[in-house]
Amino acid sequence: MKRSDHIHLDDAVSLRPERFGALAYSYRDRQLLFIDRSLMPFVESDGRRSLGEIADDLVGRGALAPDALPRLLTVLEGLRRKGVVHAL
Amino acid sequence: MHYDLLRQGLEAPICLTWEMTYACNLRCVHCLSSSGKRAPDELATEEAKHLLDAWAGMRVFYINVGGGEPMTRPDFFELVEYAIERRIGVKFSTNGTLLDGAAARWIATTDYLDVQISLDGVSAQVNDPIRGSGSFSRARHAMELLAAEGFPFKVNHVVTRQSFDGLDSLHALVTGMGGQLRVTRLRPSGRGRDVWNALKLTADQNRALYSWLRAHTDVLTGDSFFHLSALGSPLDGLNMCGAGRIVCCVDPRGDVYACPFVLAPEFRAGNIRNEPFEAIWSESPLFRRMRGWEVGGQCRSCGAYDRCHGGCMAVKHFTGVSLDDPDPECVFGAQSRPRGMALPVLH
Repeated sequence: MKRSDHIHLDDAVSLRPERFGALAYSYRDRQLLFIDRSLMPFVESDGRRSLGEIADDLVGRGALAPDALPRLLTVLEGLRRKGVVHAL
Repeated sequence: MHYDLLRQGLEAPICLTWEMTYACNLRCVHCLSSSGKRAPDELATEEAKHLLDAWAGMRVFYINVGGGEPMTRPDFFELVEYAIERRIGVKFSTNGTLLDGAAARWIATTDYLDVQISLDGVSAQVNDPIRGSGSFSRARHAMELLAAEGFPFKVNHVVTRQSFDGLDSLHALVTGMGGQLRVTRLRPSGRGRDVWNALKLTADQNRALYSWLRAHTDVLTGDSFFHLSALGSPLDGLNMCGAGRIVCCVDPRGDVYACPFVLAPEFRAGNIRNEPFEAIWSESPLFRRMRGWEVGGQCRSCGAYDRCHGGCMAVKHFTGVSLDDPDPECVFGAQSRPRGMALPVLH
């Protein structure tokens, strides 16, 4: 995924907060996924801001390391391929 | 990684088993809940809906509905629809005897619904001694009704010493009808206690089953053979006992148990008529204890511990061994466990 992408959660996926982040369950394929807490601001963004804007905001608030985004984009790409999130 | 995340419990169950009723029109010899007659104090419709509201509020992803035979409840369809309207997925297990054409059509047009037909052998000769005379043909008829609707049903098969040789044929039968096979472990729970020694797999069959499951990745197991993962690469699933941590069971009277295989007073965490389900899940002393417990004893020095985590608590309990002992069906037997690093027991 790219900094400029906007993403939203698949309609058939239910997300439940847990102490490590969240559990995501897809009613489409009955798969359970673990979502690390570092991904939550992106997964829950509902497409309102780009991934880069969300990351810049988190870095500005000291909630994300400046060099962390490339790794998170790779993980988000994995979630996109599994159908958990979609790029708008 | 998942084991460490899940062992200490979740904010809510991933799924839970709801035994809707003890009423059943069959008398399977291995029934986990010793079902037959309806209990006089089973949850009323409004109580059941209140429970579903609680689960929806906790965002329980899905429920496994069983019994007894859940379709004997007059409000069965009403309660399933109520759950689905609240975005709780429903997987219901049925012996298929009450499933007619109208029910099959309703099932096929309902989202978030999975159906498991119980079948414990590939022929009446194997199935009926366990589930009752005529049960094979009635289950088969239910499968045909669902197949005719194009619904991807599942067949749940408790594999036994007698049925094991028919696994390939059963797999072919089910997939040939557009279904999916689910194979689960016999437990010595309920009436299963009486037939455990006669029906449980032999050690050789358990080893062969592990290889068979590894070769048939389309076959579901409900994570029930994690004790066999000690033989090599882990089987699909979480490979851990989720009792009181990620799953639990509510019986027809509202009693909450750690899992559907331990319907025993020692594993009863509370009753939803006395306190809210949410409080039982998060605060019950039993569940709190279970979330701080790991199998100890000789399992902790076994090289396969990371794969099987000591096996099934229910099988240990109902065969009278300590929960810190190895699973009675441990693939290594008593003498030949692979040596590994001794790990500290957490309390």
